[in-house]
Amino acid sequence: MLLIVLLLISAATAAASFFARRRTVMEAANLVGFAGVFAVAVFLVAQVLAHGTVSLGNGFFYADSLSALVILLTASVALVCSTYSIGYLRDDERSGALGDDLSDAEQIAQLRMYYTLTPLFVFFMMFLSMANNLGVMWAAIEATTLASIFLVNFYGRVTSLEAAWKYAIIGGVGLSMALFGTIIAYYAGHSLAGSDAISGLNWSVLAQHAAQLDKTSMRLAFILILLGYGTKAGLAPMHTWKPDAYSQAPIPSTAILSSAMLNCALYGLIRFYILAGRCLGVEYPSHLLLLFGLLSMGVSVPFVLAQKNYRRLLAYSSIEHSGIMVTALGLGGPLGTLGLMLHMTYHTIAKSLLFLCAGNVQQHYRTDMFGEIKGGVMRVMPLTGVVFLMAMLAVVGMPPFSLFQSEFLILRAAFDGGHVLTGVLFILFGTGIFAGMLIHIGGMILGPRGDTAAVERRPWRNGSLLALAAALVVIAFWIPAPLFQLISGAAQVVRGQ
Amino acid sequence: MLMRLLFDLQFGDRIVTLLAALVLVLQIAMVAQGWIVAHIRIFAAQSFFLSMIAATIAWYNHAPHIYIAAVLTLVVKVILVPILFERLVVRMEIQREIEPIVNVPLSVLISGGLTLVGYVVAESFYRPGAAGLGHNALAVAISLFLIGFFTMINRRKALAQVLALLSLENGLFLAAISLTYGMPLIVELGVLFDVLVAAMVLGILVYRIRETVESMDVSRLRRLRG
Repeated sequence: MLLIVLLLISAATAAASFFARRRTVMEAANLVGFAGVFAVAVFLVAQVLAHGTVSLGNGFFYADSLSALVILLTASVALVCSTYSIGYLRDDERSGALGDDLSDAEQIAQLRMYYTLTPLFVFFMMFLSMANNLGVMWAAIEATTLASIFLVNFYGRVTSLEAAWKYAIIGGVGLSMALFGTIIAYYAGHSLAGSDAISGLNWSVLAQHAAQLDKTSMRLAFILILLGYGTKAGLAPMHTWKPDAYSQAPIPSTAILSSAMLNCALYGLIRFYILAGRCLGVEYPSHLLLLFGLLSMGVSVPFVLAQKNYRRLLAYSSIEHSGIMVTALGLGGPLGTLGLMLHMTYHTIAKSLLFLCAGNVQQHYRTDMFGEIKGGVMRVMPLTGVVFLMAMLAVVGMPPFSLFQSEFLILRAAFDGGHVLTGVLFILFGTGIFAGMLIHIGGMILGPRGDTAAVERRPWRNGSLLALAAALVVIAFWIPAPLFQLISGAAQVVRGQ
Repeated sequence: MLMRLLFDLQFGDRIVTLLAALVLVLQIAMVAQGWIVAHIRIFAAQSFFLSMIAATIAWYNHAPHIYIAAVLTLVVKVILVPILFERLVVRMEIQREIEPIVNVPLSVLISGGLTLVGYVVAESFYRPGAAGLGHNALAVAISLFLIGFFTMINRRKALAQVLALLSLENGLFLAAISLTYGMPLIVELGVLFDVLVAAMVLGILVYRIRETVESMDVSRLRRLRG
């Protein structure tokens, strides 16, 4: 029941914003809607913790700990971003960033697009995390791309068109490969009894009979899925859309793309990893995942070191982190999977926080280049500066922040499992990113030049910033027991237990 | 006589093979075509033969749910999407807007090579007795997929890239019906819905690119670097 309620609330939010005439109505609809989604997601987590799995409609909807974790993270990010976007878009409206000389009606139309597409985007992310049928999951993932194309193109500049076009075309090609992989996975299970029924492509059914699936087909299916959902997760070499889209979309959308959407893409990949692991043994998928994971980490290093634009810098950091998570999945085992799920949780908080801070900086300085800011953000915007610096240290894996713990777990999984080369490369690339982020973002925040302090009056934006920052600090020292139970439950699902 | 053919599985296989061959020929014709309206009509014709293949397989295998997929393909890919794109072309006042990167003869040659690759790959899937119909159709499906990829790389113009993406998706539809007699209906519905929405969304993007850059040449969009 809860699963349907989640979808209904998101859909109702989209509809309410679509028919609203006034800005305040849209803002209120989004805020109330996402608060509702978050509350229901918490209930869902409680149910999953109590019963193990929740399913609905003859197994059409299916949620285990892994789905519940992804849904919870999506709902949290959506709630924080909907709060942030109120302040963010009002600022844009005042400063005329929405476009040159727009009439009032045009401005409202622009806002309506944002406030309608965002809940729709969240709707499909919820849908894909609870769809049991792998084909339906694919359709929902494709729908997330379609719902977010116009968010990337929100500002309607030439550059945002370019970013949206790349996002649409690269995403479209990637997802067509994923569809091919899904078809072949269906074929692999075609000899099973009852595979013609709708449940023939249900993950829970295929996972039960994974050992009987056709092995040749499953091999090909996994490669195609890795390429397809890997494109959506921004793994190298299919990552090229990511810096463009992340630097052009409005900041709250970027924050959702970089955390919740990344989790959802990895979620799709993990579902197939479990099938492939049970059918072929973990060796085969692991090697492929390690290859793509390390490649993504390695590719992002030079781009982070030589970066001139802070939003693109954060995008490359996001590519690195999706590489880290895929590497953790490839390492597997109790440590690797626990590290993966912890990292997913921590990264969701830290990366969305980083983008929200970047949004504050961009709206104050009206530029996203390091060279034009020169430094001194800390003096001009003390609150944003401090939180930005803290989130940056967290995301590069500095202790005491929590990403240190998860990356440490993943490293231990590498060395314990005898993947010495993986471990060494992991440290090497991690150090490169660390240096790049520290020089660029550290320089921008602490650097010498700084005007006089501006009064920071951004109640919506800074409120959401502080909420996330508090979560980041608290979680570094204390994870609530139910949350940890959920995370380790999700890790167990990934291990296939 | 006619009645007998209607229930003869081998005759069904021949029809499917014939239709699949037509689909492949149209795909290569698309590679060679320089006129955007013709491009759209070839896509419509290809989708029409595709839905015929689906209907044939549905008839000979007594799988009524494939009929629904066939009808939906007919509505979405043969009627709605081509109408949408032709209107777009009229509104943007373009006619000859393809300009491939590799010239036409070489493109056709490469497509031929990709067809061979399709046949080699399809061979590894062939299990005697697994699926009676559509062994050739799978090879064609993989060829469509590969040629679609190549065409996307080979086009500079936005609308031509979208059409290539859609023909690539046609290959996937063919693969699904020839490998497994179609995915479960709900999945087909989801996929077709996505195709329709994608066609609309990409159509709007193409229009905006045309208005902003005053060309559909996406190779001119190269501001974002590094």
